[in-house]
Amino acid sequence: MSDQDGIETPVITEATSILEDGNYDPAKNSESVDQCTKPESKSEPVASTRKRPEARSSNDLETSAVLPSQTSQAVGKDSVSKEVAQTGWGYWGSWGKSLLSSASATVATVGQGISNVIEKAETSLGIPSPSEISTQGQYASGETNVKENEKVSPLAGPFGVFSTISTAVQSTGKSVISGGLDALEFIGKKTMDVIAEGDPGFRKTKGLMNRNSTLSQVLREVKEKEELGTSNEVTMETDKKTYYGLLFDEFQGLSHLEALEMLSGESEIKVKSILNSLSGEELEALKFELEQLKEAFSLAEFCEEEDEEEEKKENEDFTKEMMELFSQLQVSSNPEKLTRARNTINEWITTSLTQPLAEKSEEEKYLEIQRTEQINQNSIEDIHAFAIRSLAELTACSIGLFHKTAALVLHGQKQEVTAVERSRALSQMTVVLCKELSTLSKEFTTCLTRTGVKEKADILNPIITAVFLEASNSASYIQDAFQLLLPVLEISLIESKTELPQA
Amino acid sequence: MEAIWLYQFRLIVIGDSTVGKSCLIRRFTEGRFAQVSDPTVGVDFFSRLVEIEPGKRIKLQIWDTAGQERFRSITRAYYRNSVGGLLLFDITNRRSFQNVHEWLEETKVHVQPYQIVFVLVGHKCDLDTQRQVTRHEAEKLAAAYGMKYIETSARDAINVEKAFTDLTRDIYELVKRGEITIQEGWEGVKSGFVPNVVHSSEEVVKSERRCLC
Repeated sequence: MSDQDGIETPVITEATSILEDGNYDPAKNSESVDQCTKPESKSEPVASTRKRPEARSSNDLETSAVLPSQTSQAVGKDSVSKEVAQTGWGYWGSWGKSLLSSASATVATVGQGISNVIEKAETSLGIPSPSEISTQGQYASGETNVKENEKVSPLAGPFGVFSTISTAVQSTGKSVISGGLDALEFIGKKTMDVIAEGDPGFRKTKGLMNRNSTLSQVLREVKEKEELGTSNEVTMETDKKTYYGLLFDEFQGLSHLEALEMLSGESEIKVKSILNSLSGEELEALKFELEQLKEAFSLAEFCEEEDEEEEKKENEDFTKEMMELFSQLQVSSNPEKLTRARNTINEWITTSLTQPLAEKSEEEKYLEIQRTEQINQNSIEDIHAFAIRSLAELTACSIGLFHKTAALVLHGQKQEVTAVERSRALSQMTVVLCKELSTLSKEFTTCLTRTGVKEKADILNPIITAVFLEASNSASYIQDAFQLLLPVLEISLIESKTELPQA
Repeated sequence: MEAIWLYQFRLIVIGDSTVGKSCLIRRFTEGRFAQVSDPTVGVDFFSRLVEIEPGKRIKLQIWDTAGQERFRSITRAYYRNSVGGLLLFDITNRRSFQNVHEWLEETKVHVQPYQIVFVLVGHKCDLDTQRQVTRHEAEKLAAAYGMKYIETSARDAINVEKAFTDLTRDIYELVKRGEITIQEGWEGVKSGFVPNVVHSSEEVVKSERRCLC
């Protein structure tokens, strides 16, 4: 970890200065931006010591996000999304990828050097620097009214990116998003250049740089790299616990993914041969229906959903939503494993975030603090390990669920739902899962910033980044796995059509 | 998580629906008995490390297959990349025993050009009062196909460890003798990751010397 930091620090400064050079007249637009953020800040009375760095950070981000939208609106959504997918930013923008209605399976681009970009861009995007986070934390720890801090924290610090994007949605609508991503891309390119000069040798996620391979190949490579890593440094116990690829495999994610790829591939071949055997009107009619399926796979709901309540979801909500979506699918399988895993993770987080309440008596408070401290004996390394493990587990479970769904769609009993209805439920499910990952990563970072109050910034920052990186990766893997379901539903649509007249 | 093992073996578990394949595997990998269990959809995946000799670990990847006929086209695809298999029948269900032939024929067709080392498992041996298949006839059948026979119970945890570790040892012996070899494009046996600290430091020394010359 220490050598990595040594490399990073100079690069970060470089990236920041470049961004400042390339900054487009922030003064001109800062007013309108302020208007977006002000009501939010007002509604939450916070100590000014805490608020300032946050407000500034979201300003910075929104400024760069809003500005290019004015110049690039003509570019149109499609071209923007394509560009995004082609650059390393596809994956930082993987939440963004779903915000746009394009969400094509960009397996080939899985994280070309995302890790690099994100770690650096974090700074260039105006996300509060680690030192800021830790000063905030120090102030926070001195305050008695900790509850209020908790309220604000999901919006604070590194989560700025997500919350600002959703703020932008609320105020200005879709065009801002595409513009925002445009800006992210611009910054991304700049950052990429900087990184290319600076630090080509990056660790863990190096395997992801490979192009033109399937998702499982990519993840397998990650895992194998990590295995080599662990066998070479057996002593690094803590490090082993944070290898996403190894953990993903441990939760059988790779196997499920390969199985899903197999079913997807078989279905794709079938669909192609059927399409080849058709002609004329028949072919057109089928193509039209398949087009509808594809639309259901586009994840368009993401942005419309986003501006509704941003409130923290309760455990039951997630479970209920998944159960409901699954009943819509009408496959005789249930997401119990996934929801159980998710609830266990949430309990852990809740416990480690438990804070003494202000209205309690002194004695109670003292006891509470003692208890919390005990739970909070989790070091930032523990939280890091748990976060990565949780992300790997949830992703593996989700992909397992997709695999089972594919198997049941292909070989299950007669269906009472159409393929299009199923596609909608599945795409909704993908959205729910990705949002869940986003929420989780925010909560983990809250845990980290709180526990790491006294840590040096250069220790805390890479960990926070790693958690966000893996959460973003996880969301991408889930979205890519979801796309693997398309041929499966296509063939089920075709089969249900040919079966109908006989029945 | 322990990343150090000598080999990784892929084992497949097959047999009629409801003979208890998933329960046996879960007892082995999770150490508990699941009272209620949904029928397996397609394939499921489990893994566990087994220590066959002190310090010698083998990672088992276990493929749990659906017994239901409708998933056969999926499960078939998994024979090829398996080095070993547990063929289960339920000792209280004569039909599942009679189907053992068919299962063996089925695998033979789909495993070419490779081979699977099978063990015949008479499952649910805790239900001895309802037994429909005698130990003797099961042993006879197993011998006819060159398999070992073992009776297990996932509920009472009888012979579950033994069934898996014996099979693992047998495969390990075949690998050691070179009768089963690691092959490109075949996932049945893979070599594991062994710490090679000494080895790598030697390399460093060598290359340094070269530089000095």
